[in-house]
Amino acid sequence: MELMINGQAYTVDADADEPLLWVLRDALGLTGTKYGCGLGICGSCTVHVDGVPTRSCITPANTVEGRAITTIEGLATLDGDEEILHPVQQAFIDEQVPQCAWCMSGQMMTAAAFIADNPTPTDAEIIAAMGNNWCRCGCYARIRIAVARAAEIAQERAS
Amino acid sequence: MSKQTQPPKTSSDGKQKGITRRRFLQTVGIGAGVLAVGAVIGGPTLVREGRLAINQAFLTGTAPSSAPPKSPFVWFEIDAQNQARLFIPKVEMGQGIHTTLAQIAADELELDWQTVTVAQADTTTGFDPDLIFTFGSTSVTALYAPIREIAAKMREMLRTEAAAQLGVDVAQLTAANSTISGQGGQSLTYGAIIAAKQGEWVIPEGAAALKNNADFTLIGQPIKRVDLRDKVTGRARYGYDARIEGMGYGAVARPPRYGATLASAAAGTAETMPGVIAVVIEDGFVGVVANTRRRAQAALAGLELTWEGGTNIGQAEIESIVSAPRDGGTLIQRVGGEEADGLRIEANYRTPMAVHAQMEPQAALARFEGDHLIIDCSTQAPGLTRERAAAVLGIDAAQIDVIPTYVGGAFGRKTGADVGVEAARLARGAGIPVHVGWTREEDTQHGYRRPPASNYLWATIDDTGAPTMLVHEIASSDVLFNPEVGGGGFLETMLGADPLAAYGGLLHYAIPNRRVMYHHTRIPVPTAYWRGLGSFANTFAIESFVDEVAHAGGIDPLEWRLRFRPEGDLGRRYELVLNAVAEASAWATTPADGRARGIAACYDRGTVVALVVEVSVTDGQINVHNAWCAVDPGLVVNPDGAAAQVQGSIIMGLSSTLLEAQTVENGMATSQNFNAYPLLTIRQAPQIEVIPINSGDEPVGGLGEPVMGAVPAAVANAVFALTGTRARTLPLKL
Repeated sequence: MELMINGQAYTVDADADEPLLWVLRDALGLTGTKYGCGLGICGSCTVHVDGVPTRSCITPANTVEGRAITTIEGLATLDGDEEILHPVQQAFIDEQVPQCAWCMSGQMMTAAAFIADNPTPTDAEIIAAMGNNWCRCGCYARIRIAVARAAEIAQERAS
Repeated sequence: MSKQTQPPKTSSDGKQKGITRRRFLQTVGIGAGVLAVGAVIGGPTLVREGRLAINQAFLTGTAPSSAPPKSPFVWFEIDAQNQARLFIPKVEMGQGIHTTLAQIAADELELDWQTVTVAQADTTTGFDPDLIFTFGSTSVTALYAPIREIAAKMREMLRTEAAAQLGVDVAQLTAANSTISGQGGQSLTYGAIIAAKQGEWVIPEGAAALKNNADFTLIGQPIKRVDLRDKVTGRARYGYDARIEGMGYGAVARPPRYGATLASAAAGTAETMPGVIAVVIEDGFVGVVANTRRRAQAALAGLELTWEGGTNIGQAEIESIVSAPRDGGTLIQRVGGEEADGLRIEANYRTPMAVHAQMEPQAALARFEGDHLIIDCSTQAPGLTRERAAAVLGIDAAQIDVIPTYVGGAFGRKTGADVGVEAARLARGAGIPVHVGWTREEDTQHGYRRPPASNYLWATIDDTGAPTMLVHEIASSDVLFNPEVGGGGFLETMLGADPLAAYGGLLHYAIPNRRVMYHHTRIPVPTAYWRGLGSFANTFAIESFVDEVAHAGGIDPLEWRLRFRPEGDLGRRYELVLNAVAEASAWATTPADGRARGIAACYDRGTVVALVVEVSVTDGQINVHNAWCAVDPGLVVNPDGAAAQVQGSIIMGLSSTLLEAQTVENGMATSQNFNAYPLLTIRQAPQIEVIPINSGDEPVGGLGEPVMGAVPAAVANAVFALTGTRARTLPLKL
């Protein structure tokens, strides 16, 4: 099958029902997307499909052929050789959010799609948007602050 | 193992001594353009082996090299470009230990923080895997002094050499920002000193003087984590991410009941199923290697397996076995007499089994290079994985390197050697590198879990409300006594009480008569390390019960804890944290309508904790709105890292307080995945304020676990204050 991931085309030989998660991680080596539960509950595997946050562990890869898939590896941009972090990534460092960080790719992908839709979120909206991404290390207080901060960084960069 | 897993000795003054080892400093791997300093930390055998390795490196002339040396026991390297590399012999599993230990080293070594990179130390760099064992909130207390001593010695070598190069007296030179400067304005960077070095470095005799605390530039600062850039970009490599060309994916057959063993096993149709590379059948073990994970898992269904034995135990029987009796047991604390006059109060508390639910399930990649086995593994305990792999595969431990990766959450679960050994067996059986990553279902059902516990307490109070007697009876299944992770046999007979299940069970309040009994119970369900060990259940019980005692005596729960605080220095530290948390939470004020506060305090692993939470109850549901926590580990190395550990402990503790229980029926855990085992989410997360406290001039306690047990008690106490109902079983229900 043909997949478009982070702006690059990949040809993959995979079982018809193979979840996108394992195609990304095992077939293509894009291991930034993480496995947590395989049921679409914890959100560790969240990627973007045409900009929409999507649980890759329950999404068969062949259903997203021809769609624009973005993973954590594609969230930052390059300015020449310099890696420019996405506002969410920058805010997660600024606020020192991650601990073990296994859930963080999913947290950040969810947050990135959210602030793209809602550039000036309220605290309650942030909690609602991040409510289905689990973090066992307990970084929730910092996630709340960092998503708000990410929205600000995005606004600052846009202006 | 046993020397590693015994609880740290605690002296009566409340200062935790941590694990003391004799330390031997060595300078190794000195080559052109690089200065590396190493040290041997460990017991006599290790020292002998370490010295042998170091001597051989010198005698065979392999040490000098312009490349960064791969000599044994290298802790710190600085090169001619003035770049410093610090090898950290503890595993980064989210607790920020790579940053914290690097901070300690860089401060004493007077490094420019911008020049520092951090690397995971492992057995390939000569480190003792048991030293790398990352557990029990002990990393900082165990390594604070040795890291400073080694760093100070390296700094003094650089100063001495700078004096020679500049032709001035060493006493005139000071070190700062990776530079040695003189009073006359001359200066040399560390890199320049190393580049210009002629001949052999001289290893100074004796210990180098350590910096005064007042001169610290990094210790005590909220230095940003060194691992986050890689973590936010997805570049960080965990055990589940380990890859190598030509590897296969392994899946392992699991028993239908705990304790069941294979009566017979045949490959059946598994061998011909899609993608299958090998079926590996060994004594009591069957696994499949395939070219994708899902194919390996699917092929398990083709195996012909007959299981026998095992348990059919269910929840009612587990709770009946793990139930604190009123007599017998092993005495683990006695102060004063057996009985006291006064009003008698008693209560029972119960803590269920719970899983770690670390977000990254168990994972390892094993491969052979000739006879040499290399296991890249998400592990807290590379030594245990090496030891078990050696025993199971029948090869010499010296032939095995275990490389700890970043760990995607551990909480005790990644002490387990299970997955590393499985990957090694399958790699040998299939003849190719094999990665095994457990499914969430496997991790939830087939790992070990927090032991169930039952606590019975009774007290007497006099007519002023003061306690005159406090007795604590603990019943728990195994932690250390689980033969799979360490104990059993001789240890069990000697001790009588599982010291790790008993953690947090001692009574520290200044009550004239106190007694703690431990009742060893065993269930045929694997239980072992879980964040905080016994202190979660025991602190829940003790701190709930003293709240009951305070109310029975008509004394405010904060006032009770202050009035009956422990004697001596520990009491001074209790006062510090209690007063700090009382002020932060405005304890003396009345909460808003429909809200109430609860308090808990504890002393665990050298750290003193006081926690206040504010709750409400709607439709029988407990909501925790705020938490204020004062923690005193003696000296806080990184206040922001400390705050993160406390915040995380409160969230994980709250998840267990409100939601989590794993039950077993018909010999198997009933929950398989997160659909049947929910965790706390951001929706239920309270606002948290952390007050780090320095009560001394060095770290005496850890921060990863001590807060855990205070959480259920503070919440239960707040719920009682609000509703008058005392919830004594976790998860709390009204």
